[in-house]
Amino acid sequence: MDEDVLTTLKILIIGESGVGKSSLLLRFTDDTFDPELAATIGVDFKVKTISVDGNKAKLAIWDTAGQERFRTLTPSYYRGAQGVILVYDVTRRDTFVKLDNWLNELETYCTRNDIVKMLVGNKIDKENREVDRNEGLKFARKHSMLFIEASAKTCDGVQCAFEELVEKIIQTPGLWESESQNRGVKLSSKEEGYGGGGGACGGYCSML
Amino acid sequence: MADNLPSEFDVVVIGTGLPESIIAAACARSGQRVLHVDSKNYYGGNWASFSFSGLLSWIKENQQNTDISDECEDWRKLILENEEVISLSKKDKTIQHVEDFCFGDQDSAENVEEAGALLKLPAFGASDADRVAQESEKECTLVENTLAEVESQEPEKATGTEPASTVEGNDPEITSESESSHDAALGESTPETGSAPSESSAQGPKKITYAQIVREGRRFNIDLVSKLLYSRGLLIDLLIKSNVSRYAEFKNATRILAFQEGKVEQVPCSRADVFNSRQLTMVEKRMLMKFLTFCLDYEQHPEEYQDYENSTFAQFLRTRKLTPSLQHFILHSIAMVSETDCSTLEGLQATKKFLQCLGRYGNTPFLFPLYGQGEIPQCFCRLCAVFGGIYCLRHSVQCLVVDKESERCKAIVDHFGQRISANYFIVEDSYLSENTCTNVCYRQISRAVLITDQSVLNTDAEQQVSILTVPPEDVGKPAVCIIELCSSTMTCMKETYLVHLTCPSTKTAREDLEPVVQKLFNLNEEKETENEELEKPRVLWAVYFNMRDSSGVEKKSYDGLPSNVYVCSGPDSALGNDCAVKQAETIFHEMFPAEEFCPPPPNPEDIIYDEDEIAPEESGFSNSPETKPESSTEESSSGDSTAVKKEDNEE
Repeated sequence: MDEDVLTTLKILIIGESGVGKSSLLLRFTDDTFDPELAATIGVDFKVKTISVDGNKAKLAIWDTAGQERFRTLTPSYYRGAQGVILVYDVTRRDTFVKLDNWLNELETYCTRNDIVKMLVGNKIDKENREVDRNEGLKFARKHSMLFIEASAKTCDGVQCAFEELVEKIIQTPGLWESESQNRGVKLSSKEEGYGGGGGACGGYCSML
Repeated sequence: MADNLPSEFDVVVIGTGLPESIIAAACARSGQRVLHVDSKNYYGGNWASFSFSGLLSWIKENQQNTDISDECEDWRKLILENEEVISLSKKDKTIQHVEDFCFGDQDSAENVEEAGALLKLPAFGASDADRVAQESEKECTLVENTLAEVESQEPEKATGTEPASTVEGNDPEITSESESSHDAALGESTPETGSAPSESSAQGPKKITYAQIVREGRRFNIDLVSKLLYSRGLLIDLLIKSNVSRYAEFKNATRILAFQEGKVEQVPCSRADVFNSRQLTMVEKRMLMKFLTFCLDYEQHPEEYQDYENSTFAQFLRTRKLTPSLQHFILHSIAMVSETDCSTLEGLQATKKFLQCLGRYGNTPFLFPLYGQGEIPQCFCRLCAVFGGIYCLRHSVQCLVVDKESERCKAIVDHFGQRISANYFIVEDSYLSENTCTNVCYRQISRAVLITDQSVLNTDAEQQVSILTVPPEDVGKPAVCIIELCSSTMTCMKETYLVHLTCPSTKTAREDLEPVVQKLFNLNEEKETENEELEKPRVLWAVYFNMRDSSGVEKKSYDGLPSNVYVCSGPDSALGNDCAVKQAETIFHEMFPAEEFCPPPPNPEDIIYDEDEIAPEESGFSNSPETKPESSTEESSSGDSTAVKKEDNEE
């Protein structure tokens, strides 16, 4: 199954508490929506394979595990990500104002300078909008981000947000191809045997 | 702060070093409500790693002796009559004798700032008609200048240019200034184009300036402790068992080096290494193979060593048929033990451990985490958060509140004056006040970190992760352990090496380590160095410091700690991480004897939702009937994900 997958991409979802990050994630990966979803507990990451322009990409989409609540996301969360979805709530201006902080944090910990960013204004199904679409668009333009308004509840724009992001990543040379060259060792419970390096160079243990 | 912190937990963990983070993860994993705080604004305590600018601030902070004396005693009102207080330390005193040196032209770096990851280009209105049309169809707006920006980067990327070039493009003035002063200082006219360092021409030595280090500061992840993971050590086992390994990636240490008679050489480590070695004679190869084969199952052959059980390992080695050079390899680079203090059995054990770790992930026994050792505590913190643990950095704790009658700790009072109660408290040693630690005797670790321009042993393969043990010059002193990291470990910028030196302290870090630095590196700044010196790597920047080693302190040495307060130690001076893992497991089992320590997370399919949960959650996870087929979605799987729901603990 994995052979025809072009690449595996690490996508992050960030933004203030309560803007609907986990809801967007669950809507996209499981097509579910839970209006009572408590502050994030237990969502680690989700994997989904999508096809964009005939290219298959396996997405590992990482949630914040609630660590953003007291501004304590770990730098390690950001490592090696190729794309980021930055979410605000169109009915809460404070979540829009905080976007600058999030961009700062992204800038500090991101390991690559060409990470693709998508700004998502969530909860457009709600009546009491506080942030105008044009404001979001303007902010995105200023910071070279893709932009979309969405609703995890009605499903509006969710699929599109992820697809556009992936399309953009795939169109950015060097962002994902190099991943296969300089990969680190992933630990697993399987015995690796003597996989590292030149095949025959086992330990002494193999000798007897 | 948008959210209010709950005031009741099961376990409060103070400090985010490795043992505390493992305990926090283990507790959350077994269903405890965990609050994990650190007074610093970064994760890891003395296990942290820093960018270059981050390290400079850390140095500054530890060189200043400002005592925080804004005594606010308001919280005393929260203490009841039948309670007493154990105050915690207000300032971390674990780091001493910090000295940093810059061996380049520092002035040229004055105006240079660290380059950010993201480009802050001003918006411009170059719209692309095709693009816009396509977008509007999909209701998704591509911001025009993204396209332009990416295109303008492409040609540079083809030459492997790092972000410096793009930033320099934004600020040509600073670039030309620092470049030119650098050239002048060297008295040469290097035909550099004033662009990225990685573009420097192939001929001639590349010269990295201090300004470039500052500008590329984000590329550095400089560990305060320098450790490696034994491929069959306790930490690797725990990472795999708990599935925390999914949060980290590793690089193999690629070679083991030895320092003999003023020369650095590679120690043949795998079977193939031994046979391919050009430095060993045929006879030596056979001797070495024979001895190492014996070490692998030395317990089966007691007759070979029992006469030497009261001797040192070094003496035992002399009785084997081994040349002095081989004895050196085995003693210092493979067993990595002391010449004077290590018994034969300990030496055999150490050699066996080394050999058993070979070949699991590569042809040395060691792994190093990409982005530095500082990642590992964070990975355990993430596991804790995934299972509901709450995280607060920059969060000091004033005191522990102890019930006089039961002599148990009931709560903490934090720096906001909030009282937070819990059943168990984990405190890292550095948070305890001098009153608590008066009877504790601490050891010290001497550390040095260097940024150099080439490897201590250049070979065809450039990207090497090396470990080198330098035996002591004076008998009885500790050996110095050196780990040299290349840029592909994501801990330093291209064309530099990050060198960590560690030994148990006998004096200040500089006094302990500078002699070794002088032997291996060129500390002279400019060209009046001898030819021989030119062959050595040049040190561009260095820092020395002593760190408290609080490992091995028994709990009873701390004064007046209640039984439900547990102390975690800071990093020890050993190469591996077994000490921290053992401590975490011991403390966890003292608290929760019946619980499993960090079991694998459940499969998503195995999760049973609590009946008490509000109804929508359950229905939310069943397949919704109005699922629309998405043409572009080929396959959706949550096989690799863990989504666990528990009762919300914040209200």
